[in-house]
Amino acid sequence: MTTTTLSRPWPSGRIIGAAILTLIAAFAILGPVIVPGSPFAQSLMKSLAGPEPAAPFGYDHLGRSLYHRLVHALRLSPLIALAAVATAGAAGLVLGTLAALRGGWVERVLVVLADALLALPGLLMVLIVLAIMPGTALGFWAGLSLVLWVEFFRLTRATARATLAGPAVQAARLLGFGWPYVFRTHLWPEVAPLMLTAAAFGTATAIMGIAALGFVSVGMRAPTPELGLMMVELLPYWREAPMALLTPVLATFALLLGLTLLAGGHRT
Amino acid sequence: MTLLSADDITIRDGATRLLAPVSLEVSPGEPLVILGETGSGKSLLAQAMMGTLPEGLRVGGTVTIGAQHLRAEDRAAFKGLWGRQIAVLPQEPWLSLDPLMRAGPQVAEAHRLVRDLPAQAAREQAMSDLAALGLEHAFRHYPHELSGGMAQRVAIAAARAGGAPIVIADEPTKGLDAARRDDVAALLLVALAESGGLVVITHDLALARQIGGRLIVLRAGKVVETGATAQVLADPQAAYTRALIAADPETWPRRTAQQPAGAPVVEARDLTLSRGGQRLVRGVSLSLHAGQILGVTGPSGCGKSSLGDALLGLLPPQAGEVRRASDLAPTALQKLWQDPVAAFPRTRSLGQTLGDVAHLHKAPKGRIDALLARLRLAPELLRRRPAAVSGGELQRLALLRAMLARPRFLFADEPTSRLDPITQAEIIGFLAELADEDGMAIALVSHDPVLIDRTADQICRLDRSVSETGTPQQVDLRHATA
Repeated sequence: MTTTTLSRPWPSGRIIGAAILTLIAAFAILGPVIVPGSPFAQSLMKSLAGPEPAAPFGYDHLGRSLYHRLVHALRLSPLIALAAVATAGAAGLVLGTLAALRGGWVERVLVVLADALLALPGLLMVLIVLAIMPGTALGFWAGLSLVLWVEFFRLTRATARATLAGPAVQAARLLGFGWPYVFRTHLWPEVAPLMLTAAAFGTATAIMGIAALGFVSVGMRAPTPELGLMMVELLPYWREAPMALLTPVLATFALLLGLTLLAGGHRT
Repeated sequence: MTLLSADDITIRDGATRLLAPVSLEVSPGEPLVILGETGSGKSLLAQAMMGTLPEGLRVGGTVTIGAQHLRAEDRAAFKGLWGRQIAVLPQEPWLSLDPLMRAGPQVAEAHRLVRDLPAQAAREQAMSDLAALGLEHAFRHYPHELSGGMAQRVAIAAARAGGAPIVIADEPTKGLDAARRDDVAALLLVALAESGGLVVITHDLALARQIGGRLIVLRAGKVVETGATAQVLADPQAAYTRALIAADPETWPRRTAQQPAGAPVVEARDLTLSRGGQRLVRGVSLSLHAGQILGVTGPSGCGKSSLGDALLGLLPPQAGEVRRASDLAPTALQKLWQDPVAAFPRTRSLGQTLGDVAHLHKAPKGRIDALLARLRLAPELLRRRPAAVSGGELQRLALLRAMLARPRFLFADEPTSRLDPITQAEIIGFLAELADEDGMAIALVSHDPVLIDRTADQICRLDRSVSETGTPQQVDLRHATA
């Protein structure tokens, strides 16, 4: 009985999600090694041309290799998203624990702040930060972190409040254990699974946000290869080159599907 | 004539036999009590007689209800009899009511749907049912507007509305204090007088005694003893039944009072406590010396736990003061919880948790093993997680954990209310031993006034309005849970 609870097998949905993400990561990392090339090199002669050995996915309207643009796009948004989720997760964990532990005005101020941010549409928030921050990637990172920490904060605070008020933590305190021990043995095992789920959803939200702003041409600037930007650039040519347009769409879909499967996977 | 008979009921889970062949009969006017501790198979037996066993279990034997002969494995055949021939009293009735529906309609619904009465007649019948239980004014109340006892009666009225001649009550007193237990026993006997057949499944000897009739004692799926309830309880033949009865606090000898020596370990003066803006304890004074056991008793919600938390320093008093001996280390005050599973970190093995405590308190090597032996615990338990250990073992492990901190004051908050009687006697025995041999001062909370009367050197009785402290002879416990 104990061994089954110690090493619970992952639900199949989660395994499939992890497999999809591993494949995408392998493609993004190893892509240029397998087929060398540049995402920026133009050759107008090959505008919207089909696949060939040097460009396995064909060319876009400016004759740039779609394969190499996709490889770079799949490095850019996931990296920004992961950085933002890591920052937001750390901030949410620290602030949520602090709020649950201290209570009083510390908690009230943090909750009001989180609720105020929640009332603002996330994309608008990111746009405002993008306007303030110098670099676009840096702006996305800061804006997305600012939007995403609220979820982690709320999850941590709710879990920590219940856990800290429970007999197990009271026992640990009576026995003389300090807060670091309580955090490590009582709080973290309860919060960690929730954090993984929230992190996967948060990454998906961030990638979608970057793509959405790219699509309406207010995110990443051309010629940076970015999923949303690639879609909007190729949209006018959907009749001539439907596969070229589908490439970034399918890549985005696979990425989001993988993350959502990783986040879900209900325990039975 | 018998109302219900079950022949050679066996229950298996794969290769394990959960219930050896059991046969029983229920006659009109004579209640049947099935007595056993947790895991004895008594609830499974009841479920087999009602056709509500989980699908995964294999069941054999036959059940005769009225004129109907049924094979126990044919679960679907029982459905038509539910409510009409056989009624079940829910285990915690006040949780089984629909919170969004008024009390009267919940009873009327059963009359309308089970007995096919027209709406108007069903309402009238429900009204008279409630009136018979002294609840005529509760007809238009929602469950949350009723007291626990009233909600319980409404649930019983609803369960019996179908007019079934056989009533099965599965642990009807689980988690109730003594006064509520007597109410339930009285209600069950009323049900018996009206419908004829009554089966009560319980681990509570006092309830068994009140119900009377015939008794079956079950242990680990086997019948240990059968006979007339009064006779079996007065003169048990089987060793297990004797142990079960010996574990009943009624039969315990009273503890020889310890004379206070030296300065008190903890002391409270004119203590007033409140929690969430509600005043719970007013003007309590007590002083507890080494080796003494203080019994704290009173109805639920009267502030027993809050008093303990105040003595431990976890709850600041609103007025008055708590004094602890000046040489007391902060970790010399320890606590036992009602639900030991909740008192351990869920995801760590017990060995890891105890190891951490031993390390923190620099306990010498072998101290855990010595304590395991003293508390009669198997060392293999340490490899498991808290949820994989039985309640009695886990409570002893909680005691072990507290002892690693070398406490001089222990607050035991209902440490045995979720345990079976034999395990309860064992745990209380350990606590008394710790007081006598190690000179620990113990505050023991229990809703069972008899248990407190037998184990405590001094008693603190809390009630909504009054509180008194004194020796068992001074404090009148008969009203303790009124």
